Amino acid sequence: MHLDSGQEKLLRGEGGEAKQFAMEIVTKVGDAVGADYLVPIKSAHVLAHFSSLHEAGVDVLEKFADSGGRFAVPTSVDPASIDLQNWRSFGIPEEYARQQFRLCDAYAKLGGMRCWTCVQYQVCNFPKRGEVVAWAESSAVVFANSVLGCRSNKITSGLDISCAVLGLTPSFGMLKDENRAAGMAFKIGSGTPSDLDYRSIGFFVGRNAGSRVPALLGLPTKVGSDQVKHLGAAAAAAGPVTMIHLPGITPGSDSLSDAARGERVEEIEISRSDLQEIESDLNQTTETPDLVALGVPHLSAGELGELAKQLEGRKLKNGIKMYAYTSAQAFDMAERTGITSTIESAGARITHSTDAEISPLKQLGFSVVMTNSAKLAEIVSSEGEVKMRYAPQKAIIEEVTR
Amino acid sequence: MIGKGLIPGKAEGGALVSLKAFTFAHGVDPATGKVTDVRSDVRGSSVKGKVLFYPFGKGSTTASAWFLEAVRLGNYPAAIVTEGVDLSAVIGSVMAKVVYGREIPVVGGVPRDAYSKLETGQRVEVDAASGRVRPLS
Repeated sequence: MHLDSGQEKLLRGEGGEAKQFAMEIVTKVGDAVGADYLVPIKSAHVLAHFSSLHEAGVDVLEKFADSGGRFAVPTSVDPASIDLQNWRSFGIPEEYARQQFRLCDAYAKLGGMRCWTCVQYQVCNFPKRGEVVAWAESSAVVFANSVLGCRSNKITSGLDISCAVLGLTPSFGMLKDENRAAGMAFKIGSGTPSDLDYRSIGFFVGRNAGSRVPALLGLPTKVGSDQVKHLGAAAAAAGPVTMIHLPGITPGSDSLSDAARGERVEEIEISRSDLQEIESDLNQTTETPDLVALGVPHLSAGELGELAKQLEGRKLKNGIKMYAYTSAQAFDMAERTGITSTIESAGARITHSTDAEISPLKQLGFSVVMTNSAKLAEIVSSEGEVKMRYAPQKAIIEEVTR
Repeated sequence: MIGKGLIPGKAEGGALVSLKAFTFAHGVDPATGKVTDVRSDVRGSSVKGKVLFYPFGKGSTTASAWFLEAVRLGNYPAAIVTEGVDLSAVIGSVMAKVVYGREIPVVGGVPRDAYSKLETGQRVEVDAASGRVRPLS
């Protein structure tokens, strides 16, 4: 990889220990993936939650913070493993919280924005078309490339902090025009998708695209940004997808021909039975859930409002908890508009700055979790400890309330 | 088999062969090295000391952090061989080197059709400098 003289100096340690450490990481990764140089980024999004970073990750983040590292660009952060405000009331053990707060402290010292969310693009980090960003959080990367028209690779833990500290990222993969062309297409052949279908369709795309960039044809024009958010999140959870060309939505891809740069590509139709297969794969049991988890990725204020409507006048059955996961900003809005009180009257809770897939569900005593998030169902079932059920939100509410 | 060396180094170990998308995030228990992912075809096997083959990564960008914790606890593979380029494996291996001084070579560009002929447990040698992956018996 070619470095300019300023970058060479950083690698030699002339910009301090943290930048040298970061340069060592980005150059090694850049060499591995065949990047030719480093490019400036407009923003970063990093990971700092204990359930994934573990003690190794706490060591790394503290090393950056304590050796003088400071973020060089606006940087947002994925949810924490605990509700940062009300963690005690959710039964989080003290020691677990202590480890998460070590990460919070190191992140704050590095100068990051304190918006702990996986939907930063709906809340606090708004890149515009064509900009290069270095984002962790696979679902947000799909949204960035497919909807916002900016450019990001799926920056995984370790590289994320390095890019943020340098304000640079290796130029490869989705940053390059030639890697962004659609290499195949999926076509929705199962009629107008339901809310759950968007997630199952995303999951099917992620599972079957392999390492090709897919296009997805046949989305109704009325599809909402929250639905696209869940579609992309499911795709990224199921496979290596970092971008889906959505003709009519993706900037520069008004048709399949635009998306595929004029090449003819394989088209695969997604049938109703394909979606049923995904649903049955993500349903591991028919047991009654002890937790309903909604909001992976985080629910928007609009989605919280919809949930409140569906819960109005209902009560959760005994022995079942329901948590709606959201950002601090949407949480505040829900409090001010009465949404929170409707949701709480039904016996459910809104929790912010954390998310279900990265919270210690098993340690908290949950054994069967029900959700409408294909991403959550995939991730939690991977661990093989907590069993998952996957169903539409309306059907879930019918089952768990009276 | 010849692939492209992504992270330098030489290693030898028993083959652990997966034909499905793989992730360390929630998919491998760092405390034991065992594959827990219910959708993995090598669930229950340990990655520790193995030459781990899989086509490509999936899921969360946290995979490299899970990988690094497995390294910290000593339960990491000897080498990784993939069909595509799994950025999580690349970054995990870079972090293993810069944080814990462990060398875990990574080779990409080895198609499933080629490596699927290996039997799990068969000894394999990996030389990332030349990209060569060679069964020893």
